[in-house]
Amino acid sequence: MKTQCNRRGALARLGGVLAGALTLPIARQAKAAVQKLFVSSGAQRDYDPTKHKWLMCIDVNKCIGCGLCAEACKKENGVPEGPFYRTWIERYIIPKPKPGSGRTRGETKVDCPNGGMHGFPESPIAEDQIEHSFFVPKLCNLCAHSPCVQVCPVGATFDAPDGAVLIDSKYCIGCGFCIQACPYGCRFLSPVTKTAEKCTLCYHRITRGLKPACVEICPTQARIFGDLKDPAPETPIRKFYEQNRVQVLKPHLGTEPRVLYAGLDKEVR
Amino acid sequence: MSLFKMPPQVVRLVLLTLAIVVSYLVARAILTPASFGQYGWYRGAALEEIAARTPVYAGKQACDECHSDILRKLGKGEHRTLSCEACHGVSREHADNPDILPIKLTGSHCIRCHEANPSRPKWFKQIAVKDHYSGKCTECHLPHQPNQTP
Repeated sequence: MKTQCNRRGALARLGGVLAGALTLPIARQAKAAVQKLFVSSGAQRDYDPTKHKWLMCIDVNKCIGCGLCAEACKKENGVPEGPFYRTWIERYIIPKPKPGSGRTRGETKVDCPNGGMHGFPESPIAEDQIEHSFFVPKLCNLCAHSPCVQVCPVGATFDAPDGAVLIDSKYCIGCGFCIQACPYGCRFLSPVTKTAEKCTLCYHRITRGLKPACVEICPTQARIFGDLKDPAPETPIRKFYEQNRVQVLKPHLGTEPRVLYAGLDKEVR
Repeated sequence: MSLFKMPPQVVRLVLLTLAIVVSYLVARAILTPASFGQYGWYRGAALEEIAARTPVYAGKQACDECHSDILRKLGKGEHRTLSCEACHGVSREHADNPDILPIKLTGSHCIRCHEANPSRPKWFKQIAVKDHYSGKCTECHLPHQPNQTP
């Protein structure tokens, strides 16, 4: 009789625990609702990330290397002082080949003083020796298959549904794997927060209907930004990739970037 | 009633297994962030947190609200692609409160783009400042209508 009672008691407790486990998801939803109420973010409320697919196009023939984009990015995003850039400009100088070398061009020189923020010093190669020279603006390539997301051990970085690759800085442990993994060198470890940082496509701007700071400030419209899910029949971005032959950086890596370049040279890496 | 006829060691084992499973479920419910899985295998609230930052650059549309006359003039000339803040500097404060004047910029700002550089595209108008003129750019050029002279 005594053992029977114990069994009944144990089963009753078991039932209670099971019922508790079943109510947990409800409790979690309630917790989320309460958090949403009290932790006000001030962000655009009607922005739905599943209804956008952002894309950036860059026309290399239009970049004049003024560095306003790199400077604007630093100001807009509070990027730490020093050699830390979310977007930057590289200068490519391809000299003429040595006579009789049997080559089409000499060895390419690439430089990027201060991310191109304050312009570029005089060319190290005399003007009459230059075959081609141009500027290439760089930023996060918005890969569809991002190597940086794949390597994150804590799941702090992710591909947002709207195409931006973002970092949850509350969960980033600053291990730096993603910085090693990014084939485009678009990430850095912030000396201030000790977490990885990268271009967010000015997420706080695009969710409010503004253009990213670099696109806003570019004086020659070398950068074009748009939404692939925009229902309008003729958007500047659509016009751009329909009228230009575009390519991506390092296509052999299979990252499928959504930053498209027009007018690139084969030397650009 | 075969359940109650189970040997006590089996009952203990079942209870222990259940206790482990339940403690896992409880720990998972407490430790998983509330918005985890909203869009994918990450915290959905992170998107809102990243978007919560206040924009620094006001944008051309904000300027258009008061200075549409200047923007119309600008739109007719070669400088039509320029954003106001490219030359006038960050003007969010001025956009929010017109009493705060935006930062004034000097002629050195013209050179930032127009100084001759072999890396710049050929279509772009460039000058070698030392061979050009030593005075102020605005003596001969109107920044808002670069095709006209004052």
